[in-house]
Amino acid sequence: MIHRSIQLFTAAVVLAASAAVVAAPQIGEPAPDFSVVDTEGNTHSLSDFAGRKVILEWTNHECPFVAKHYGAGNMQEQQRVARDQHDVVWLSVISSKPGAQGHVSPERADELTAERDADPTAVLIDESGDMGRAYDARVTPHMYIIDADGILRYMGGIDSIPSADQDDIPDATQYVMVALDEMATGESVSQATTRPYGCTVKY
Amino acid sequence: MRKADTLFAAACGLILTLLAATAWAQPGPVQRPHIEVELVSEVKHVRPGEPFRVGLRMMPDEHWHTYWKNPGDSGLSTEMEWTLPEGASASPIRWPYPERVPMGHLVNYGYGGEHLLPVTITPPPGLQDGSDMTVQVAAEWLVCEEVCIPGDAELSMTLPVRDAPAEADAAVADLFAWADRRRPEAVDWPARFDAGGEQLAIQVESDALPAAAEWTVFVGVENVVDHARPAETAQLEGVLQAGQPLSPYLGELPDAMPVVFVDDASGEAFEVTARPGSLQNTGAAAPASDPTPPVGWGLAMLLALAGGVLLNLMPCVFPVLSIKAMSFVGGAGHDQRAHGLAYTAGVMLSFAVLAGVLLALRAGGEAIGWGFQLQSPWVVGLLVYVLFALGLSLSGLFTFGGSLMGAGQSLTEREGVSGSFFTGVLACIVASPCTAPFMGTALGAAVLMPWPMAMGIFLALGFGLALPMLVLGFSPALARRLPRPGPWMETFKQLMAFPLYLAVVWLLWVLGRQVGADGLAAVLGGLVMLAFVLWLAGRRDRSATMASIRHVAVALGAVAAVAALGAGVRMSHSPGEVENAWWESYSADRLAELRADPQRGVLVNMTADWCITCKVNEGVALNTDAVREALAANDVVYMKGDWTRRDEAITAYLSEFDRNGVPLYVLYPHDGGDPTVLPQVLSPGLVVDAVESL
Repeated sequence: MIHRSIQLFTAAVVLAASAAVVAAPQIGEPAPDFSVVDTEGNTHSLSDFAGRKVILEWTNHECPFVAKHYGAGNMQEQQRVARDQHDVVWLSVISSKPGAQGHVSPERADELTAERDADPTAVLIDESGDMGRAYDARVTPHMYIIDADGILRYMGGIDSIPSADQDDIPDATQYVMVALDEMATGESVSQATTRPYGCTVKY
Repeated sequence: MRKADTLFAAACGLILTLLAATAWAQPGPVQRPHIEVELVSEVKHVRPGEPFRVGLRMMPDEHWHTYWKNPGDSGLSTEMEWTLPEGASASPIRWPYPERVPMGHLVNYGYGGEHLLPVTITPPPGLQDGSDMTVQVAAEWLVCEEVCIPGDAELSMTLPVRDAPAEADAAVADLFAWADRRRPEAVDWPARFDAGGEQLAIQVESDALPAAAEWTVFVGVENVVDHARPAETAQLEGVLQAGQPLSPYLGELPDAMPVVFVDDASGEAFEVTARPGSLQNTGAAAPASDPTPPVGWGLAMLLALAGGVLLNLMPCVFPVLSIKAMSFVGGAGHDQRAHGLAYTAGVMLSFAVLAGVLLALRAGGEAIGWGFQLQSPWVVGLLVYVLFALGLSLSGLFTFGGSLMGAGQSLTEREGVSGSFFTGVLACIVASPCTAPFMGTALGAAVLMPWPMAMGIFLALGFGLALPMLVLGFSPALARRLPRPGPWMETFKQLMAFPLYLAVVWLLWVLGRQVGADGLAAVLGGLVMLAFVLWLAGRRDRSATMASIRHVAVALGAVAAVAALGAGVRMSHSPGEVENAWWESYSADRLAELRADPQRGVLVNMTADWCITCKVNEGVALNTDAVREALAANDVVYMKGDWTRRDEAITAYLSEFDRNGVPLYVLYPHDGGDPTVLPQVLSPGLVVDAVESL
């Protein structure tokens, strides 16, 4: 009887443990929907952008890896290329919980966008972390590309050299740019998952 | 004035230049945000040509940490770039094994507290005694608590060169000792990895694996596994397996995967280099072809023939046949030959039937070998009854006659050729329990051969068993040399009962293991009843009334004896037989039938005797109480397919799942929906979890 109880307990623990594991979204499957308010108070859902490509960029301005790509102008340039040449909806997402590193007020988020000359379509404040967890966003920056049909086509790092050093950017493969070019020519994305490197998202 | 200014400026510039030149590489500890770093040496001086160890001492603030060579789900591994005198070289970092550092729902591999990353420097042999050697390193790291701060430092150290034995620097001895304790031993044990399914499965083989280990596994390559979900391990007889879910961000797999196994029980750690390869090809036999029989067919035939002759001497056979042999004495020549041939036919036909059943079952995927007939407690129980009755007959308790009980045996006593034929059948029956223990190995070869050859071997065995009697039949001269019949024969018959009783004891022992003490008691009760019935059947009656009562009693007793056997055998559903009863053999029809049943799920296990992975998984996971109970509680039927020999049905099943090897574990939900393929490395928790979430 005791033996059986222990087994049941073990089974329960195993189940609980597996339930706690956040399942990452799958490439080639519909991307998880979300409903999050941006810095201007507008609520955005993935379904609002049906028919357009969407890029999600998890960010935290105090993270040195984010600072690397904004400091060198790499992130801003990708935002412009994506929006201007690929008609992409670019959503920067802040999932830091209140009090944690990277958490900002909507006003501060807009200031940061202006200061850095960034060009996202909108900056979403995901204080609850629900959207981040739905996407299993692990680090900042963590990048996702969703096609016009709502299918996830890319998830992973911003580029191929995991470091906090701006000097590495010219040598690195910029995965998001490569994926957009491939999608534009109707090809499948050659590297659809890569290692996301950066600071952990402060849920 | 102007000149003085210029001079001053020049002097300042010179000083600044000099400062810059030396300042880039600093001796001693260096402070960086949230961490102190320092280049340290294990020895106080360098001896020309003698390798020595230095290390990057890192002292992060409390709760802060740096990273291992695989930093885990986030983070960055520490890097070092050396500047050394010409002719000197530096080894890669000898990474101490890390700790698991949970960060929210992620897990990193790294180090908290003061730690050391050691590197071995080999100085050139031509260093001048009395000179200095300067070692410089550019180190880059990421130090994190909740937040992360990248850091770098240019560090240097100058050591005197002396051609004298190394002297340890006591100040850093503890740090190097710490690194040594955590240094995994590099071993060249065969190791494979396979990323099929959603799991990185690793298999290591070595007899030097510590027993009773509690393994923590660190895959040494980043972006391969999901670090937040620790590896499950299973160890059985020199094989260690680990399975860890793959990272959702998995890229290309390397050709060589360093994996560190840390035994938390003993503190031992080792590092293997796993190569890509499927895990099942570890046994002696290849899965694609039939296993090679241990001996050739011709030799096996000879061995079987000799074995058959020897069988005549076995305690279960000799008593029966020796009595039969006596009947040859004094018969007419022609008659003797017919008897000998009929007897041989009886033996060989019986063996052919037995072998046919065996081969048919094997072909159907049954995991059975020779001796399978003894796996059924019914067969063993009936043999016990037959041999015991024969023994009682020899003891003189009764004589076979036209009585109710003697119906079967009387055939063998029948005068004429048919009697000899049935003696042959009886010889095969009584011989069968003896063939299992004595001939098992030789017949093991037969079941691995194509069926006509296998059948030949079984027939050779039967022919060997029949041979002595056949020779007696065809050689009157030999028959004449047998002792003359006389009163001694009665004594001999009674004596021959005892080997039979011994055979009965052995069979009862076999039965006892199958049905337990309770079942055995029931069967023993049945034997007493059998003895009573046989005794009663042999009595003479004084009146017709008595005769009817006796016949009714004999009939009732016979029924009771059989009922006792039945009761005993039924007990086999407790301990002993559960081993066989809790799974079913794979058949496509049966699987289809079960899938159509909305009440039941199915777990299919495709396995083979030569598949170590299969055996380990069965040993540590599938055969555990936890899994059995989970299967029973969730109405999941456990179905096993044996691919030890190539089996077309199983090969076809495997190819449905794009597999060409075992193990394969497939779980079918109750509603007939799509099946789930379980990973190649199982743990009880994993199976229970999968079964319960159906």
